[in-house]
Amino acid sequence: MPRSVHITAPIDPLETRIKQLRIPKARQKQLRAMMDEARARMAREEQVRLEERIVPEEKPQNASAAD
Amino acid sequence: MPLPPTDPNAVFLNIPYDEEFHRLYLAYIVGLHVLGFTPRIASGIPGGERRLDRVIALIQSCRYSIHDLSRVELSPAPPATPRFNMPLELGMTVTWAKLHPKRHTWFLWESMPMRLQKSMSDLDGTDPYIHSGTAEGVLSQLRNAFVRDGAAPIQRMIECYRLVESNVERILDEAGTRNIYSASVFRELCFVSLDAASSAGDELQP
Repeated sequence: MPRSVHITAPIDPLETRIKQLRIPKARQKQLRAMMDEARARMAREEQVRLEERIVPEEKPQNASAAD
Repeated sequence: MPLPPTDPNAVFLNIPYDEEFHRLYLAYIVGLHVLGFTPRIASGIPGGERRLDRVIALIQSCRYSIHDLSRVELSPAPPATPRFNMPLELGMTVTWAKLHPKRHTWFLWESMPMRLQKSMSDLDGTDPYIHSGTAEGVLSQLRNAFVRDGAAPIQRMIECYRLVESNVERILDEAGTRNIYSASVFRELCFVSLDAASSAGDELQP
């Protein structure tokens, strides 16, 4: 088994970590917008997947109700 | 001469900078950010100094290092050549950690079990983490190597990875490069990984 380490050092605040990257504010805004778009797109895709999973299960029930 | 300061959350990534490694490189960046670490690579710091000096300074500034030795094949481009950079950097790290065991801890990573015994038998007795050449493997093994209370579950790490991965092409296009290892692209990948990590749950916040 490879060894593992238990980390006790506190995580640096998010703002500090962002500052260390030295990315201009305007570019940060663009990147955040890009990530928000990706989140929305992935949420939509997940919704479609969920609906596709539900529909085949419902169809037989509807069919039997119609009979 | 005083020792250089060490960042307790910095992890030096000693990896192959090739096209086949893109997904694993991204997995290391995302996974380390989600776990609260700061990945560092040799190309992520400003140029000017000799590369070897930069690498030594990087190793000294990082509390941890990951040495991915999964690329032991000869390069496909002629002349077929083995990669010696990674073993060289591993050797320097092992020496540094031997001299200053409280300042540095290093980890070995491979894609195949048992291969390290053949490629680097001097390291017998050091078990590598096996990522099987997959991003999911890298993420789950990062979680095994670095145990942190309240760490995000693996599923959440995979979600963060997919979110960042979906933006890689755009970041490259907007940077006007195909080099995912360039300093500017690395910084932006770190930024979007942080953004993904910060929205992945309260446990990721300090």
